Amino acid sequence: MLGDYFPFLVYAFLAAVIPASMIAFSFIFATPPQKRVKARFLPFESGVSEGAPKQQRFTVSFYLTAMLFILFDIEIVFLYPLAIVLDALGWFGLVEFLVFVAILGVAYVYIWRKGALEWK
Amino acid sequence: MTEPWWISVIKALIIINLVLVGFAYLTLAERKVMGRMQLRYGPNRAGPFGLLQPAADLMKLIRKESFFPASAVDVLYIASPFVAAFTALSTFSVIPFGPGWEIFGYQVDGQVVDVPISLILIFAIGSIGTFGFIVAGWASDSKFALLGAMRTCAQLVSYEVSLALSVLGVVLMAQSLSLTEIVAGQDGTWWYVVPQFVGFVVFLLAGTAETARAPFDLPEAEQELVAGYHTEYGGMRFGLFTMSEYINLITLSGLAVTLFLGGWHFFFLDGLGPIWFLVKLLALLFLFIWIRTTLPRLRYDQLMRFGWKVLLPVATLNAVVTAILVVAL
Repeated sequence: MLGDYFPFLVYAFLAAVIPASMIAFSFIFATPPQKRVKARFLPFESGVSEGAPKQQRFTVSFYLTAMLFILFDIEIVFLYPLAIVLDALGWFGLVEFLVFVAILGVAYVYIWRKGALEWK
Repeated sequence: MTEPWWISVIKALIIINLVLVGFAYLTLAERKVMGRMQLRYGPNRAGPFGLLQPAADLMKLIRKESFFPASAVDVLYIASPFVAAFTALSTFSVIPFGPGWEIFGYQVDGQVVDVPISLILIFAIGSIGTFGFIVAGWASDSKFALLGAMRTCAQLVSYEVSLALSVLGVVLMAQSLSLTEIVAGQDGTWWYVVPQFVGFVVFLLAGTAETARAPFDLPEAEQELVAGYHTEYGGMRFGLFTMSEYINLITLSGLAVTLFLGGWHFFFLDGLGPIWFLVKLLALLFLFIWIRTTLPRLRYDQLMRFGWKVLLPVATLNAVVTAILVVAL
């Protein structure tokens, strides 16, 4: 059982070594700049370069999207195991499935009517 | 019979290098195809037909100055391209590309990793990749990078729900999370693209958004965001982000082939296993390039509305209908 994951460990090791070596190369083979100007290290800005603002505020929609994602992702986490055994469970499983989706549907209609899905 | 461990090691080496070469030539193919579609030639200077262009790009990226923005968080700034590239590279391992062979009496499986939950493994590792993007934008400490990272995160997160739900129909029909068994379930019958056509379309749309390609390339909308989360990156570190995007695209196309298009099967001509897989993979990749040259970019509110109000209900309905049919029939 655990032996199934051995090839994945090998593959993941290779998948880690290759990007790591590329990052190492980006240090080793880098061309040093001809002349160091302070402005080139300032964050990119269209117009005046004053550095990034330390306090960034974001519209609440981003936070709302994150919360909705967690809710619906949990839905999927529950549905996947059910999906595999659904045929074995038969009608009982199907009713459970439909009740679960129906409860979720109520919540979905609620957040839709509340306008949480509108990007403002 | 299971394969000996050293065959797994050799196979992992071969496959990961094939994926890397595939990525290198996908960038060239994309530029060539886009060039032809826009009535130009595309890169044709380095080598015959521009075939050495990927090598030239690699040399150029590696020779670039090692650059740190003034106020960047150094460790995270360096680590995030690594995370993005690592998660992208490691997911391709579970995709089956052939029936498995017996070579000199040794069993060789048709994929690198055969675990019973390979579908979950792909989604789980793929979700970690989001961290690479958002941490990159945050650690560069630049206005555009941070905005790009927030957008990337919100978009990936919104479409991941629909992506995972669109696959649920296939899982219901195959009753397995193992990609090998899902491919086996399509042998000698209809590919799942026929009964699961809605799921296939949702998968392609959500997948385009997941890999941040046009028309969903909001994370790097040049006109408003400069370059998105990797604004402050240069050289090979920028290259690693590009690599992760293209390899994610390859993995996603491979997953679509496996789940919906019958994997390495092709009706009665099954003998050519990996060739059919490659043909289907290239056809899907061409489709993605074609979409990119054809469609203009969406607005951000349109993107979010489409993801939450169209794709999500459609994917859920598809899963419900499939569940009812699976139990009733």
